Amino acid sequence: MQPVRIILWALVALALAAFAILMLRPVNEMPTRQQPLAISSIGGPFTLTGSDGKPFSSTELAGKPYAIFFGFTNCPDVCPLTLGRMVKLRKELQSGDRPFEILFVTVDPERDGPADVGKYAELFNSPVTGLTGSPAQIDQVKKQFGIFSQKVPDSSRGYSVDHTATVLLFDRKGDFSGTISPEEGNKAALAKLKRITA
Amino acid sequence: MKRILLAALLLLASCSKSGTPDLQISGAWARETVPGQTATAAYMTIHNRGTGDDRLISVEVAAPAKAMLHASESSDGVSRMREMGGGLDLPAGAAAQLKPGGTHVMITGLGAPLRARDVMKLRLRFEKSGPSDVDVAVGAGGR
Repeated sequence: MQPVRIILWALVALALAAFAILMLRPVNEMPTRQQPLAISSIGGPFTLTGSDGKPFSSTELAGKPYAIFFGFTNCPDVCPLTLGRMVKLRKELQSGDRPFEILFVTVDPERDGPADVGKYAELFNSPVTGLTGSPAQIDQVKKQFGIFSQKVPDSSRGYSVDHTATVLLFDRKGDFSGTISPEEGNKAALAKLKRITA
Repeated sequence: MKRILLAALLLLASCSKSGTPDLQISGAWARETVPGQTATAAYMTIHNRGTGDDRLISVEVAAPAKAMLHASESSDGVSRMREMGGGLDLPAGAAAQLKPGGTHVMITGLGAPLRARDVMKLRLRFEKSGPSDVDVAVGAGGR
């Protein structure tokens, strides 16, 4: 009787393991896509920490169109490329000194303190607002803006962070207006920026 | 004899071009950094004008910094950066572009900020061509 019982328990364990794998699989696959969000619900009020260490509230953006990008300061390639591009596009718009705000929010709050995001923002010789916050605050803002990020091991720096590299655009009313993706041409990007600055 | 010939032919077909590679490195630049920032990226074009394939196997930079080959890629709007453990293939007659948003030399652990107009020295090690020193011009961040 005993061996039969062992085999039966083994089968139960196997079934449980298979069930667990099936349950976990969609969760693992999900991060490769941005979380679907209703367009009208993207964004909304938030509070983070500015480069001066003081709270930065989204109310400071009232009446200003803005472009928001999520990255991390140890990101030497895609993040400066994207922010540099936004600065360049802002200059090309030729409507006032600062037709829209550029926000840079870290997805690596454990390593990026207020001074880190502030200094990083200075790289671009043009006003860029660097923001950080507690991991819980960053998680909340990521959720609001439909941003994905995930730490991955990297021998040079302990870890790197995979993250959404799309820039999100908001108009003067704070309403979500569109996105600029890395693959998109400057002409299309400029048209979208004109829309939020109109 | 036939069998040896066949084996040789198969070997030739599967093999890379075994002539002499002739590498030309141009346009090397790295993004400047701000105080406290210890990571940056360097870019360049490596043109193999020779008749043999080569491979960039590693990159060295003066301590305490470290250099390694990385690739950025994006899919579904998500950007990822990965170490290129196998190095970078440099087929005969082709030019490999190390550029923003793609393959790049990742520099970490910088002891001091890199300023625009500084020159950073990198040593590239190639499988066949051996080591090659490159002067990398430091350029503005928004480039």
